[in-house]
Amino acid sequence: MSQYLSVGTRILTVEDDERIRTAVRFALEDEGWIVDEADSGEAAADMFANEPADVVLIDIMLPGIDGFELCRSIRRISDVPIVMVTARADTHDVVAGLEAGADDYLTKPFAPKELSARIRALLRRHRVASPDSPILKVGDLEIAPEQGVVKRNGEELHLTKTEFRLLCELASTPGKVFSRESLLEKVWGYDYFGDGRLVDVHIRRLRTKVEVDAAHPRHVVTVRGMGYKLQS
Amino acid sequence: MSVLRNGLRLRARIVLAFALGGLFLSVLLSAITYSVTRSTNLDQRTESAERQFFANAASIQDLSLSADPSYSELLRSLPQVAGGSPILRDTDEENPWIAPALTAADLPSSLVSMTESGDGAFRMRYDRPDGVSSLALGVAISNTNVSYFEVVTLSELDGNLSSLLLTLFVASFGTTMLSALLGVWASTRVLAPLTSISSAAGSIAAGDLSTRLEERADPDLETIIDSFNNMAGSLEARIERDARFASDVSHELRSPLMTLRASIEVLESRRDELSERSQAALDLLSDDVHRFQRLVEDLLEISRSDAGSLDASFDPLLVAQLLQAVMRTTNHLDITLNVGQGSDEALVNGDKRRLFQVISNLLENADKYAGGATAVNLVCSNHNIRIEVSDAGSGVPTDERNLVFERFARGSAARRRGSGGGAGLGLALVAEHVRLHNGRVWVEDRTDGLDGSVFVVELPRFHE
Repeated sequence: MSQYLSVGTRILTVEDDERIRTAVRFALEDEGWIVDEADSGEAAADMFANEPADVVLIDIMLPGIDGFELCRSIRRISDVPIVMVTARADTHDVVAGLEAGADDYLTKPFAPKELSARIRALLRRHRVASPDSPILKVGDLEIAPEQGVVKRNGEELHLTKTEFRLLCELASTPGKVFSRESLLEKVWGYDYFGDGRLVDVHIRRLRTKVEVDAAHPRHVVTVRGMGYKLQS
Repeated sequence: MSVLRNGLRLRARIVLAFALGGLFLSVLLSAITYSVTRSTNLDQRTESAERQFFANAASIQDLSLSADPSYSELLRSLPQVAGGSPILRDTDEENPWIAPALTAADLPSSLVSMTESGDGAFRMRYDRPDGVSSLALGVAISNTNVSYFEVVTLSELDGNLSSLLLTLFVASFGTTMLSALLGVWASTRVLAPLTSISSAAGSIAAGDLSTRLEERADPDLETIIDSFNNMAGSLEARIERDARFASDVSHELRSPLMTLRASIEVLESRRDELSERSQAALDLLSDDVHRFQRLVEDLLEISRSDAGSLDASFDPLLVAQLLQAVMRTTNHLDITLNVGQGSDEALVNGDKRRLFQVISNLLENADKYAGGATAVNLVCSNHNIRIEVSDAGSGVPTDERNLVFERFARGSAARRRGSGGGAGLGLALVAEHVRLHNGRVWVEDRTDGLDGSVFVVELPRFHE
């Protein structure tokens, strides 16, 4: 399964430290990925514009435009999965990276095998629970998991792949409360000790896109002390 | 506490100084008032007595011009000031003294001789034989052998003065009390800045390094407030610098570690291509890189908790589920997990990542120094949650039971081991994290009589 997914999948790694870049490239290539390298945010933006990668790996500390800025500029043109690499697991860096549009993050030094596992989880497609009802309707939202399309009042919304999978997970059983742990497991492939901030920030991002008024969500609702649920 | 006690003593001293000052001033003023009043009154009495005396002397002079003057009749009708009594001496008579109220003995003889031998009027203050303070006046009536005297009793005057004295005493007492009250007020005002300085110092000692004193316009206080705030500022900067240094060093070490880990992974995936000797070297390298990484991460964690753990996020967690997850993640599923009755639903308000480290570090500690944990027990009361990690090792000597939770201070059992040990931060981190959760951690002997120790973590139970 992993080999199958890796074949032909291009990863763009953006890292200014040449030693790290080389070592990570070797390790990722051993896992079967095709790796492109960029040593600055500017170079990465140019490369991505010419030939979009399937996954982007961004180090936050970059000379010139930093990782957050690069992440935002890629997000403006693409829904590609982005993994941030931080030197610190502080709340500030992690949340800022996720707010900038990253799908997941890793803290240096990470095992390249762990990175591969994260990438595979992000590239997974949502498994449709009931193939006979290809379109899910929740309030004014219309979700087509197979096509990867979500519409509000007939108008198509632009979600990243991870946001879309999160929405599909919640929409699989409308009204059911999903704990952060279960969402971490189903959407990101984490076990019990995944970082709850991933869920919280993605829910925030999802609300700005699917809700009419993100400050007063009608669909994606927080259930205090329990988790989140989708309601019409 | 000692600051407070010194403050109170100082306050008492200030109040006492104010009271004594008030007492001294009021007594001084009373004394001046008393003596001035006394002499003024005396002068007035003397003056009016003299006026009356000369008027009476003039009447006697008039009478002496008549053919047969009857002095005793006149004396009785002459007006007198209060306490005044007339005495007349006519040396032409056989019985020279005429004294309706007093006797000649009441007059001082020196005055009598001065009056009779001299010319003009004389005045003298003296005490009568019966002890009464008096004023005597005397004049020789011209062209006759008659001398006229008056004796004025001054005791009435003393009565007036003694009531004044009482008034002054009461006033002095009142003033002293008022001064003491003023002292209380003033000392409170003076000590107020000291109280705020002591509470600020207290909160700095308790860990709130950002505490500062409020600026005041008073130039007397400005100096001490400035120097206190400067001291607090440099203390805060110093502590932050120390914490940041450890954190910066750990961060700087992450980049080379990243290269090392990725490179080792590349080598490991080509393990089969390596000679046996190279494989052994690779294993050594790999193990120590992992150990090094642990040390860096633990150091970072410690410096983070020194800096105040701003990134902790507390959520209600099911303790039993947490324990299972830790044991699954750290490959300790072979250890028995005993969940006490009614404990499977117990919640703790905790930071998941830190509690993971607490449990996994205890399990790891048992692996390294006691041949592995034998059981993990979860026991809950209404208020507390107890997590007990038991082992079958040689136990921890009583005098080392607090020491094992110190940084880099491993027990004697661990020291003997020499190689393969951890960095010595594992249990220190456990203690830091447990403290952050308002809990306690300690080590005790096994209660079932077998060899080994039990590490106990007690956390407050959370109720929804």
